[in-house]
Amino acid sequence: MARAGTNLRTSYLESNEVLRRPYQKLLIALILAAALMLPFGSSDYFMHLINLCFLACIGALGLMILTGFCGQISLGHAAFLAIGAFTTVILTVHVKMPFLVVVPAAAVSGAIVGFLVGLPSLRFRGVYLAISTLAMHYAIVFLCTTYQANFGASASAGITIADPVIGSLRLRGEHAWYYFLLALVTLFTVGCVNLVRTRPGRAWMAIRDRDIAAEALGINLTRYKLAAFMLSAMLASVSGSLAAYYSNVVTVEGYTLDLAVIYVAMIIVGGMGSVLGGLLGAIFITLLPYAIDSLFEFLPRAWRFGSTVFGMQVGAVGVCIILFLLFEPKGLAEIWRRTETYFDRWPFRYRPLDTTRR
Amino acid sequence: MRAEGIPPLFFRKSELVEFVATVIILTCTYALLAAGIVILYKAGRVVNFAHGEIAIVGGYVFYSSGLIAGSPWFAAVGAVVFSIVTGAFIYAAMMRRVVGEPFYVAILITVGIAIVLKAAIIVIWRAEQVTIDVGVAPAIRLAGGATLSYMDLASIVLTIAFFVALYLFFTFTRLGVQFRGTAENALLASQRGVNVNLVLSLAWIIAVAAATLSGVLYGGRAFLGSASVTIGLAGLTAALVGGLDSLRGAVVGAFIVALAQYLTVRLLDPVLSEALPFLILLVVMSVRPWGLFGTVEELDRV
Repeated sequence: MARAGTNLRTSYLESNEVLRRPYQKLLIALILAAALMLPFGSSDYFMHLINLCFLACIGALGLMILTGFCGQISLGHAAFLAIGAFTTVILTVHVKMPFLVVVPAAAVSGAIVGFLVGLPSLRFRGVYLAISTLAMHYAIVFLCTTYQANFGASASAGITIADPVIGSLRLRGEHAWYYFLLALVTLFTVGCVNLVRTRPGRAWMAIRDRDIAAEALGINLTRYKLAAFMLSAMLASVSGSLAAYYSNVVTVEGYTLDLAVIYVAMIIVGGMGSVLGGLLGAIFITLLPYAIDSLFEFLPRAWRFGSTVFGMQVGAVGVCIILFLLFEPKGLAEIWRRTETYFDRWPFRYRPLDTTRR
Repeated sequence: MRAEGIPPLFFRKSELVEFVATVIILTCTYALLAAGIVILYKAGRVVNFAHGEIAIVGGYVFYSSGLIAGSPWFAAVGAVVFSIVTGAFIYAAMMRRVVGEPFYVAILITVGIAIVLKAAIIVIWRAEQVTIDVGVAPAIRLAGGATLSYMDLASIVLTIAFFVALYLFFTFTRLGVQFRGTAENALLASQRGVNVNLVLSLAWIIAVAAATLSGVLYGGRAFLGSASVTIGLAGLTAALVGGLDSLRGAVVGAFIVALAQYLTVRLLDPVLSEALPFLILLVVMSVRPWGLFGTVEELDRV
């Protein structure tokens, strides 16, 4: 039964299992071990890239919950990131709160804003909801711009934030941040996986697939939609707050509509409705500009205009969105699933006769 | 910026003429954009988030082909070719493939198109700020020192011509009736022998052409550049104010947005005018989301 076991389920509880395949536990242990060993011998620049990926992962998990699982399309994710960053600014600069207070506070303020931005979802869906989140994005960014403009003379270059201090430990340098973010990303990933396979996740997926049917099943649309918005905004806000600490500077120019679109690109490339997809997409889209930059290193010098490279980096995200939507709508997660299936069935190429499923 | 010492709500006579001229031209720019968005929404229930980018790239194409050939007529040919190729390509290569997919797929593809076009502005035109100058005779002087260039006059005439042509097309031609049928129910229309692919690619071509015209007008009045793609969002707001499925509403919505924007710049704060379309958007979404002329049933309500 070992091989058939991946598809054959004999009880409902089994369909809830996260790690079905015998090698998956081993694989995850290996990945975690490799992740723990990674900083040894790696350059600061490489660790910096990985840290950026981790920060993006947290934000992308948030958007994945909202769009990938609950089906509520949002173009306002950059605004949630901005809320986290500006909560951090306000609390550290004006009140001088410690790190361990600021990040949860950012989470709470993110959840509150998520609640407000989520309110239109009770009235609209689809296109109109997308437009209303777009409007919310501009409203929030406008507030942040006003705050930054009134902050002081130095604010045009951004507002600086000191390194975070946890107890007697000063979180500084790419390597220290790496372990901190690794722990957080692992925590949030496990949390999200568990969330989406239990009651809230099933409710969200029911809403995504058909909200009227979900309501008929007794799912409280109001509660679950707002919960998805709040959780999504909370994760984004935490990501924004941590990014502010990590880069030591906050400037409103960073939180454009393009950033929101980049997060949407992450979940499309990763694959809608998959936590793994959120992580893969975040890593893919974060590394993409750097990959393009290093590709240009191989080209003759005359081709390497700064604006060409920058334009290619911008355009690649759009090309990824279009190509994935057209040709691989379930994203990298589906590619990963196909690979797994291939090895499950090896050496056979055909779909095994399996009357218990599909 | 308003001049010192003038009560904000009173215009001097020259200002009044300038005010009327500017608002009309801004209305033309936004109405063309909004009309494209409305046509696409009606045809395929797609909201095109790339409309501003299409407009600006169209304007750049006009500018460049005019520069290469040295004649505004050639520039117009370039813009027409751009409209047909881009519109047909977007439909045939992308939109046709995602029929029947979840609604977000088509929208997000337009978002992807927006990014690609933005990148094209950076790569091809180096995001240079250019003002289209077709080199026709200078401006007409209006009462009180305000000026109205032939470009502005052309923009007003072309916009009116566009809307009249659209009206005649939808009302009196066979294809126009097929167009309306497709907008109402594509499946039924195709079963009655309407070539839905032709109609929908035509919708894209018309929308891109309108956007290009709008980009050309905007580039003649203000400038083309990476930042000017935000006119797409003003156009979207105009379409939404008028009602996403109403062409008549597009004109009215464009007028309201143009008026509000001009008054904000003049009387309140230029910075606020950037955020203004979205404030209007928020108000419309919360008060009357189907817009002034839109149908309530069309709204995708929960």
